[in-house]
Amino acid sequence: MSEVKYLTEFYHLPEFKGLEGYKKNGGYVQLAKALKMQPQAIIDEVKASGLRGRGGAGFPTGMKWGFLPKNDEPRYLLCNADEGEPGTFKDRMMMEKAPHQLVEGMIISAFAINCKKSYIYVRGEYDDSINALNTAIQEAYKAGLLGKNILGSGFDHDMDVYRGAGAYICGEETGMISSLEGLKGQPKLKPPFPAVQGYLKKPTIVNNVETLAAVKYIMRDGAAGYRKYGTEKSAGSKLFSLSGNVNKPGNYEVPLGYPLKDMINVLGGGIKNGKKLKAVIPGGSSAPVLTAEEALKATLDYENLAAAGTMLGSGAIIVIDDSKCMVECLANLTHFYHHESCGQCTPCREGTGWADKIVHSILSGKGRLQDIELLVKVADNMKGRTICALSDAAALPIISFVTKFRDEFEYFVREGKSKVKGTAYKGHAYAATASH
Amino acid sequence: MAVMQNTSEKSKWYLPGILTGMGITMRHMLKNIFNKKEMITLNYPEEKYEYSPRFKGNHILTVKKDGAIRCTACMLCATNCPADCIKITASEHPDPHVEKYPIAYEIDMLRCVFCGFCEEACPVDAIRLGPEWQTPGLNGANFTYDIKHLAYRPGLKGGIQSVVDDQERLKSGI
Amino acid sequence: MQQQPLINCTINGVALQVKAGSTIIEAMYENQQKIAHYCWHPGLSIAGVCRLCMVQIEGNPRLQIACNTVVTEGMKVNNTSDQVVEAAKWGLDFHLINHPLDCPICDQAGECGLQEQYMEFGKYNSEMSEKKQKKHKVVDLGPTVVLDSERCILCSRCVRFTDEVSKTHELGIFNRGDHAEIGTHAGKPLDNKYSLNTVDICPVGALTSKDFRFRQRVWFLKDAETVCNGCSTGCNVKVYFNKEGVFRVKPKRNDAINGHWMCDEGRDVYKFVNKENRQIKGHKLANGQWHSELHAGAAAKDASLSLQGATGNDIALVVTGQHTVEELDAIVSTFVNTYKTKNVYHWWNSEATASEFDGILLRGDKNPNTKGLQQVFAKHGIATKFSDLDPAKVKHLVVVGPENIPVYKDFTAKLEFFAKAQNLIYMTSAKVDSLVANKSLKSATIIPLKTYIEKSGTFINHAGVSQTFKKVTTVVSEALTVVEAAALLAGQEIKIETLNPKNLFVAANKPADQVTLDFRKKNEFIFQRGKL
Repeated sequence: MSEVKYLTEFYHLPEFKGLEGYKKNGGYVQLAKALKMQPQAIIDEVKASGLRGRGGAGFPTGMKWGFLPKNDEPRYLLCNADEGEPGTFKDRMMMEKAPHQLVEGMIISAFAINCKKSYIYVRGEYDDSINALNTAIQEAYKAGLLGKNILGSGFDHDMDVYRGAGAYICGEETGMISSLEGLKGQPKLKPPFPAVQGYLKKPTIVNNVETLAAVKYIMRDGAAGYRKYGTEKSAGSKLFSLSGNVNKPGNYEVPLGYPLKDMINVLGGGIKNGKKLKAVIPGGSSAPVLTAEEALKATLDYENLAAAGTMLGSGAIIVIDDSKCMVECLANLTHFYHHESCGQCTPCREGTGWADKIVHSILSGKGRLQDIELLVKVADNMKGRTICALSDAAALPIISFVTKFRDEFEYFVREGKSKVKGTAYKGHAYAATASH
Repeated sequence: MAVMQNTSEKSKWYLPGILTGMGITMRHMLKNIFNKKEMITLNYPEEKYEYSPRFKGNHILTVKKDGAIRCTACMLCATNCPADCIKITASEHPDPHVEKYPIAYEIDMLRCVFCGFCEEACPVDAIRLGPEWQTPGLNGANFTYDIKHLAYRPGLKGGIQSVVDDQERLKSGI
Repeated sequence: MQQQPLINCTINGVALQVKAGSTIIEAMYENQQKIAHYCWHPGLSIAGVCRLCMVQIEGNPRLQIACNTVVTEGMKVNNTSDQVVEAAKWGLDFHLINHPLDCPICDQAGECGLQEQYMEFGKYNSEMSEKKQKKHKVVDLGPTVVLDSERCILCSRCVRFTDEVSKTHELGIFNRGDHAEIGTHAGKPLDNKYSLNTVDICPVGALTSKDFRFRQRVWFLKDAETVCNGCSTGCNVKVYFNKEGVFRVKPKRNDAINGHWMCDEGRDVYKFVNKENRQIKGHKLANGQWHSELHAGAAAKDASLSLQGATGNDIALVVTGQHTVEELDAIVSTFVNTYKTKNVYHWWNSEATASEFDGILLRGDKNPNTKGLQQVFAKHGIATKFSDLDPAKVKHLVVVGPENIPVYKDFTAKLEFFAKAQNLIYMTSAKVDSLVANKSLKSATIIPLKTYIEKSGTFINHAGVSQTFKKVTTVVSEALTVVEAAALLAGQEIKIETLNPKNLFVAANKPADQVTLDFRKKNEFIFQRGKL
């Protein structure tokens, strides 16, 4: 197996960004085809393709669409382009290089679920993506691909880009809905789920950029064609954002089931500066870390990584070499989650702060041995106790870092310096003075 | 109670007994006159015995470094008092770090049983039982001590500072 | 009304039938099962943020929150397993790690949700050794409420209250994570007629009432239920008092009348009850000289002597809707039967605004018992108009004055109007210095009355709902109820209830306003937060 060009087939062409170039390379053909189909047939096709959400949770897309109540209108389709997961940058590339790909995928999806209005919620920092999408949507309106009576099919659809204000929690679907409604970006209590009661209390489907873009290719190749790549339970190809201590970081599209080892060594060109692999975070910062041995055995698909005790997540592979101190790495993560917790549920609001303070007290040399155990206990009790998954996302890395690299933590507590670097922590002990 | 009476013949010779007794008295008197240092009695009330500072006598309200009353008017002493002799009126302090403080703090000494429960209940070391206990008074003397008397009476020389200091507490983030 | 179907479930091993669609926490409350919670309140929407009401549902590996999980047929729930207790303990610890623990100066101490749950699940040493998060203290939210952000557990009850009940939207949560704080926007203070409800529903000491702040520790107070006499809604309230007087009023849940809430005006109603605002001694004006040290009963007897032989148009009675049905009936029947007159007038301060209603609780009629008064008048066949009353033409004028003077805007003017009578007998619970200072009076008697919390009786509210309440406490022991005054005015003796000496020392016969040491200890269990 090697890298594939499926979604990213024409990404090397600068013209693919514009409507003309996009149409020249097979754009909006599938839309015309889809508009002649029965909406239910599209949903069935997506179901059959085994497409799973590419945003992180990996929920089967077709099944999600099936949850919509039969007769409740209006319905909304939201594209989650609030790509906040540390290490992830695939959606950005997709939006900048092929905005029409997303727009077409969204119109097809909207037609399938009979929705008249959709929004693309883009992360506030993604200026280029927002501009690209806005241009693309304008072009689409001019070409009659959006608006009233699309391509003479009688289907009306409007699309808007909404710029986020830069909160990680707005990447959570109900947090995003709150933000879109003009409220504070805080996740909503479930049930009711968004598919039943979402944006403005109407049925709402929230999908990732890559998921919606993939719908077009399912239309093109059919479910069976889409299943050409990937495994039985993880169908299709996926974009992975490779970063960290590798020679060639970047976005790589590979079929699901691709070995993580090859991702690092072949596509990534091996570890930088000839160092040795120490650990890999395979699915964005929320995914539990894998040690080098585990990473070399793992393949990049939902079920294999789940079996290894971690998750595919958003497909952000962060490679850590053996010169990095795991305590410092964890401090980076706990600080992030402390900063980004929305503060709604108590275990997350207080737990992320507490864990951050403990890790930083270890870093500043004031740690106690029982702190390591306490850290795991705090994380354990944050897990599964909150409205959204941010608490789990904060807790899982803590548990995996501490259990898999316990020796480094114990060394740091005992000696007051890093086992790997042999020096004390030089960064800010921001936890104590954190201000936002 | 029956009293035993010595009715023996020998007891009729009382003079030697009296003389022995007076001898002992005389010996002590002379010893006290010529060796005043070893005298074990005090010229009360001109002289007074110094009690241990841990003696549970009259109450003292401790003060902070700046001389303000330490009491936060939590009323735990009043709650705990078995004699129900403490009466506190709380009020809002202009300084938001202090928040609550007593504008009146009265202890009815005649009801007090000097059990020291107030001292034990106090979370901020604001009330202590001091070594002072000889506080007699005439008819009409006021035995309900007010806040001024409890904290700043002349014997306390401007107030007793307690050990815990607010600034230090704030600094250590308690 | 259609009956809701019942469904079966098992909670903590007890088989129950609950209404379909009710949540687990509602089912548990209805069946007197204990469950810890902060953010859930029966009168507000579900927030699901405190994560303390964790329950274990058979067949579900993860603990679920009871407040947002609907009971389904055959569901087996328990909240006593080790897993749940551990979760609740940690949930509580998360609440407490940044809590300042300033219970000694916190007004909520004694009725605090955190203290209560700590006694239930906690009793452990905190493992938190890092510095606590500093937040704002003593934040002035508005004219009635003070906020302490450090104590706040961000349950959002107050925010939901201003959004859903008062619909004034003043409060919000600012910032995120452990920096989040409750607050108001600049220039938009928490200033509405129901603002103090936020203090009631605050499970911790974050919101405190400026009126009650630092005045008493709650464990020195006893509570009893009565009916608010602030307006014709007749909210059910709890009055908190001790031997020094009444200190605060809180609402008591009654879904038919006031739900969970009461207005801020009603909370001020206790103020005229306390001794400093009360008429304590009877007064008598004779030969241009005020005798001001009369006992209430003596004053009433004097008054009855002066009324002897008066009948028909010589005499008139003025009553207000501020007294109970029993009292009004007693005084009106005294006039109708003993003095053979139907010159009874209804002094109604807010007749013009009586039908006003703000949509929540407040009504324009500021008398609790106007309906009751009208029923008493109807019973005795009295149909007079207040405008027909001319005190100058009446020899003896008996006025049963209002308790809640602030709502009687024309009070002083009316007193001067009454003072034109030759002989004025004024019964009042409130101090009437202006009457004593009035030089035009010829002959007058002032009889101290008891207030609504010092007597048992019945109020009939705007909707005709009759609510009987019991005496709460006695503030001015020598004052008379109108029933007693009516008997004395009629020349009868009043029956004084005496206790059987045998029962004197039995606990049940203790006078209600004595706060004994026993009671203080008991109070710790009387105050149950979250069970409004």
